Amino acid sequence: MSSHRTAQVLYETEAALRLVDRGLDGLRDERPDAPPAFFEGGLSELPAILERANAQILGVLARLRESRAAIETTALEKLASTHEKIKEVTSATEDAAINIMDACDRATQMVDELDAIDAEPAPNRERAGEVRGTLRDELFMMMGALQFQDITSQQLAHASAVLVDMEARLIDIARLFDTKVDVSSFVSQVASAAPDEKTYDPNATTRDSESRQALADEIFTAARSNAA
Amino acid sequence: MKFLVVDDSATMRRIVVNSLQRIGFTDTVEAADGQEALARFDGSISFVITDWNMPNMSGTDFTRALRSRPDGVNVPVLMVTARSVKEDILTAMEAGVNNYIVKPFTPQVLKEKIDALLPAAAA
Repeated sequence: MSSHRTAQVLYETEAALRLVDRGLDGLRDERPDAPPAFFEGGLSELPAILERANAQILGVLARLRESRAAIETTALEKLASTHEKIKEVTSATEDAAINIMDACDRATQMVDELDAIDAEPAPNRERAGEVRGTLRDELFMMMGALQFQDITSQQLAHASAVLVDMEARLIDIARLFDTKVDVSSFVSQVASAAPDEKTYDPNATTRDSESRQALADEIFTAARSNAA
Repeated sequence: MKFLVVDDSATMRRIVVNSLQRIGFTDTVEAADGQEALARFDGSISFVITDWNMPNMSGTDFTRALRSRPDGVNVPVLMVTARSVKEDILTAMEAGVNNYIVKPFTPQVLKEKIDALLPAAAA
């Protein structure tokens, strides 16, 4: 809910309550020098006053319900996607760790094999060269597996942005119920905590990279064909 | 042949630079965002590999700015990014990107894309 909407709801609530308050005050004051009642008709106008106040309050309640529904829908959708992203971060981190550990195991075996070749009376240089080549491949694969860090950092930035947004919404709700609450310090903290949305892709994923690459290739190939 | 590698992630820059070294390209310059890349770009750069999402200036904005410079019109630009929806790929193409790699990538894919653009880089 925006702060403008919050202010509007508060204004309408206050206006409705003042209307009732003034009407009832006017009816109650029966002193000879009392100022003229807001409603000259006296008690006979009470049903009309209450009816108007009731209509305004119902309007305010409807707006509150509508706002609450909007907050709930958006919040639930965003929180659900954030939950999925965090699960994916856990999964991607684990996959990368397992891949790197497997590569470490294979690399260790290759180093052992190189030691064994060196220990032979007539070392097989050709075989040693092959093992060193495969060892380099394994080391390179380990480095490639670290790409998960870039993608998971984008996923975490997205999750962080959702949490900052939720915090801002909660501050709006707190203001709705208590205008005297000083939230200025929280607001500035929340604003500065939000990650720069230009630095991450909310849809970043480690999954299905082959099919996503195929889509990119298809688009670029089609564009080249059209150009040719 | 000198490569300009642009990515706000130091990890990714290192992975790309190591991948390039592995396939025989050892002359590289690095930049952490589009602004820095524009400042570092000069006539000696033959090939650009850039990320999309970066602070200060994105990869697509950097490519557009590069294409508006006389010395950047023809340099091959390979985008390496996590973004992979069709609209994003088309936006990158419209910005002037010559080819597109989706993260996470394999060294083989990087080599294929570079090989395909090498004639343009050599021109």
